[in-house]
Amino acid sequence: MFIRRLPKFEYHAPESIEGAINLKLTYGEDGRYIAGGTDLLIAMKKREVTPHHLISLSNIDTLKGISMADDGGIRIGAMTTLGEIERSELVKRYATPLWDAVDVMASTQIRHLATIGGNLCSAVPSADSAPPLIALRAFLKILGPSGEKTVPVENFFKGPKETVLNGEEILTSILIPKVDENSGGCYRKLMRRKAMDLAIVGVAAWIKLDQEKKRCIDARVALGAVAPTPIRVEEVEKRLIGSIIDETSIGEAAKIAGTQCRPITDIRASAEYRCSMVEVFTKRAVLGAMDRIMAG
Amino acid sequence: MKTYSVVGKSVERTDARIKVTGQAYYAGDLTAPGMLHGKILRSPLAHGRILNIDTSKAKALPGVMAVITGRDFPGIPFGTRPDIRDQLPMPITKVHHFGEGVAAVAAVDEDTAEEALDLIKVDYEELPVVLTAEDALAPGAPLVNEFKNSNIAYASDFMFGDVEKGFKEAYYIKEEKFSSQRVSVGFIEPHACLAQVDSTGRILLQGSKQSPYITWRHMCRALDIPLSKMRIVNPFVGGGFSGKHDPFDVDFAAVRLAQITGRPVKIVLNYDEVLAAYRQRNAMDAKLRIGVKKNGEITALYAENILEGGPISGIGPFNIYYFGAFLNIPYKIPAIEYHGKLVYSNRAPCGTVRGQEIVLAQFCIDSLLHMVGEDLGIDQVELRAINAVPSNWVCANGIVVDVSGLSECIEKASEKIGWKESRKEKKEGRGIGFSCASHPSGPRLGGHFGSAVMLKLLEDGQVIITQGATEIGQGSNTVFCQMAAEELGLPFEYIIQGVSDSDTTIFDSGMFGDRATYWDGNATIAAARDLKKQLAEIVAPSLNAKPEEIEFENKRVFVRGEPARGMDWLQAVRKAYYEKGAPLYGRGNWAALDIDIVDWKTGKGNLVHGLDFIATAIEVAVDRETGQVELIKAVHGDDAGQPINPAMLEGQVNGGSAHMSGHALWEESLYDEKGRVLNYSWRDYKQPTAMDAPEYHVEHIHTHDPYGPFGAKGAGEASSCSTIAAIANGIYDAIGVRIKELPITPEKILKGLKEKEGK
Ligand SMILES: Cc1cc2nc3c(=O)[nH]c(=O)nc-3n(C[C@H](O)[C@H](O)[C@H](O)COP(=O)(O)OP(=O)(O)OC[C@H]3O[C@@H](n4cnc5c(N)ncnc54)[C@H](O)[C@@H]3O)c2cc1C
Repeated sequence: MFIRRLPKFEYHAPESIEGAINLKLTYGEDGRYIAGGTDLLIAMKKREVTPHHLISLSNIDTLKGISMADDGGIRIGAMTTLGEIERSELVKRYATPLWDAVDVMASTQIRHLATIGGNLCSAVPSADSAPPLIALRAFLKILGPSGEKTVPVENFFKGPKETVLNGEEILTSILIPKVDENSGGCYRKLMRRKAMDLAIVGVAAWIKLDQEKKRCIDARVALGAVAPTPIRVEEVEKRLIGSIIDETSIGEAAKIAGTQCRPITDIRASAEYRCSMVEVFTKRAVLGAMDRIMAG
Repeated sequence: MKTYSVVGKSVERTDARIKVTGQAYYAGDLTAPGMLHGKILRSPLAHGRILNIDTSKAKALPGVMAVITGRDFPGIPFGTRPDIRDQLPMPITKVHHFGEGVAAVAAVDEDTAEEALDLIKVDYEELPVVLTAEDALAPGAPLVNEFKNSNIAYASDFMFGDVEKGFKEAYYIKEEKFSSQRVSVGFIEPHACLAQVDSTGRILLQGSKQSPYITWRHMCRALDIPLSKMRIVNPFVGGGFSGKHDPFDVDFAAVRLAQITGRPVKIVLNYDEVLAAYRQRNAMDAKLRIGVKKNGEITALYAENILEGGPISGIGPFNIYYFGAFLNIPYKIPAIEYHGKLVYSNRAPCGTVRGQEIVLAQFCIDSLLHMVGEDLGIDQVELRAINAVPSNWVCANGIVVDVSGLSECIEKASEKIGWKESRKEKKEGRGIGFSCASHPSGPRLGGHFGSAVMLKLLEDGQVIITQGATEIGQGSNTVFCQMAAEELGLPFEYIIQGVSDSDTTIFDSGMFGDRATYWDGNATIAAARDLKKQLAEIVAPSLNAKPEEIEFENKRVFVRGEPARGMDWLQAVRKAYYEKGAPLYGRGNWAALDIDIVDWKTGKGNLVHGLDFIATAIEVAVDRETGQVELIKAVHGDDAGQPINPAMLEGQVNGGSAHMSGHALWEESLYDEKGRVLNYSWRDYKQPTAMDAPEYHVEHIHTHDPYGPFGAKGAGEASSCSTIAAIANGIYDAIGVRIKELPITPEKILKGLKEKEGK
């Protein structure tokens, strides 16, 4: 009912991924990876989970940092904090929608602790980093006892608080492909407050225009907080691809988005309000993306 | 007029550095040798009979030192007034709201205490819940409070002037209904305390208390001990806003557990407990009818107000009284009829919040006034100016307004917000709303009601001040140090703030109603004069002067008009200490004796001094697609008499406004059909952040109150009263949608827009 004391646990801080995986193999269900702890410790105080062993990923340097890959894409280590992402010129320039998201996540203090890996692995429907990463066509690198795999972000979520990660697997990094010419993206989040608030609706849009910057030749639109997981809305993308991006096409695409979401009514907003806001925010995200293409 | 050297200056707060560097100790930071930790078991039901509480397993847990329930107290109910003693330290026969404390544990550490709570077994018989005023007043409704055989906790009916005549004279009459939601109080520091009992049985309580006197009185009554058996020391307090006047289960449990174990016991709540189970503002259902002449002059007002206040009366009678009696200000209303009712329910118990229920009354009145202005085509600023209470005004109920700067407040606010320009060229989705308000500087209560200050003169010339008022973040300590320094002719740094301790200070009757600056300020001046008088008598002979001729200025003591004929302050102090063997105290007390005592029955009389006035103008932007409201700019024309510390005064004015913007737009404590609170976390209870606050401007309107210290009036609560209607009116101005049910949520705005377009 009420928040409780943090239950007792043993804290492990391995310095390598292998070490972490081995600890997880040892403790199984009774062990849990911990990154910034901003989701996990609260869940433990609420007794939603009560692992007796916390395996910290904080001492594993290879999981940290933001860099540009040889192919021009961006690699973000799973243990990179939201604060580091917020301050990164690379992200701001080449993965702008993700920068939009961290800019409006939580507070300065939380962003100092919280990691992007933790945000994705918690897998709540309102995770702000997910829609922009889906729109940016990002991939996740995952390492487990049986080796490495790569999963597109849109396929990572299975349900509320559920991902494709199994058992000992660790999310190691996020790969964002090189930005195409004449493309741009934007994330827009609806909150009640201007800070320290979860998304009522989050929409990320990425648009690619032809050489003349006239017709849309590719598009990605993803929604947060309006379905059991963050979702990609291909019907919306289809309406945009091949069209001139104008009031009509944006309006129609936004309408489609409003029908694609499956939100719930809760104390934060009614399902009806959320659906109509998906429409509004799809419009705004697409317009935001267009502005950036035109400006850049 | 005299020019001041310390008063009127924005000196640094006495506690600024200590707080900013994290060195201020709040109740939760305190420790004592052998200290135990307490925790409280809470009811999962909003209404239920307690059939049995089995604490045996908890008591048997190693490390648990004591477990108590309501039965461990004498069973004496307490309350604000003799006729509403309707609450117990902890419940005995039934639980009344979700999260009510039913048992408490003291253990060697917090983990053990929490584990013990799991071992306490409570058998309840679930009872039907009363959630709203309508539920409470329905025929055959379940009774909420076991000490009362009705769900009506309190009622008042006031009649000021000839209402029938007033409405007859009206050219236009408008009637509307308004409602408001349950909101939490909004201080930062959750309830916490440390209780100790010495070998004689004397209790020491150090808690996060706004009004230690109220806590002290109620606790001693309910514990059945004389006042002298308990000492209260107030540590730093992290905000009160009227949510920390009375004692809670936290305080009672800590004391009782300390008595039983003989060891200090500390209890610190988590904020979710505060949001779920402690003081909130009443929910209101009101109906107002106003009559005006063609030019907008108000001729009469009729108001019905039902407050739903949870299972206890608390200070609810005050809320009913304040709502009704202060309908007389800030506008000239010749005739008023008022019917107020406080009803019990199974929601969290209510106190009040900053501004009392003048906040709600003013939301209604100024919303209604705006509507009248729209209907009659009268400019909103003119409408307020024409009705503004002037100086030397006698209200319909007998309140005498000595000095009012309201007209100037209105003028300055409208000028600064750019009202006239905004009428010429209206920006899409933008609007400006106005509201005025007035708040008195403390009422005269029955029982103890005066303020006392003591100045202790130190050998090195510095002075320690202790006063009955308590510092809860509002800055009162700083203000009294300024006043003492001014009156003694000393620099601000010479005055040291002493401890707030019931053994050495006489606590004020309570810290509410903008009273401290005014009442304790006057007592400070009296104490300084007393000290000067004693020093003058010592110094005068050596200066060949009479004591009445001695002046104190610039750290000097000298004969009036002849600054050279004197000595340094320190020399005078040494003279007292070393030559006369006279270490000195200056003592002062003050009470407004020429005002009438609170008249609960009629609401009549000259009830207050020092009415502070405000005119608030708020510019808002409304997003027509999302229904979201952004506060752009807020201007307050504020008459607090002589500002003692302008920067702190601005903090109070803007703080009160920011606070109520939460009540206007974001905050609401939600309950399910069984009375369980749904949003008792900061994540889901939407108190605004600094990012949500508009740009603020305060225009100080200097007036001189004839009774206030240095001409000052109380401050800080008027802006709470003027903010909500200003926002509601601004929204109407922006998009033509009138919301009369708080909070004004995006969904309500979109619904309003739809309805408007459907027409
Ligand atoms: C006050 C507050 C405000 C917040 N505001 C927002 C907001 O605006 N938007 C938002 O989206 N979220 C918000 N959050 C939620 C939270 O801060 C974020 O989800 C954060 O990014 C989680 O990261 P973390 O490093 O703290 O994760 P942790 O709590 O350490 O971990 C979360 C989960 O992921 C697992 N995990 C972590 N890293 C890995 C990995 N590399 N591989 C495998 N599993 C892993 C953990 O085992 C755990 O189950 C807020 C939280 C708080 C307390």
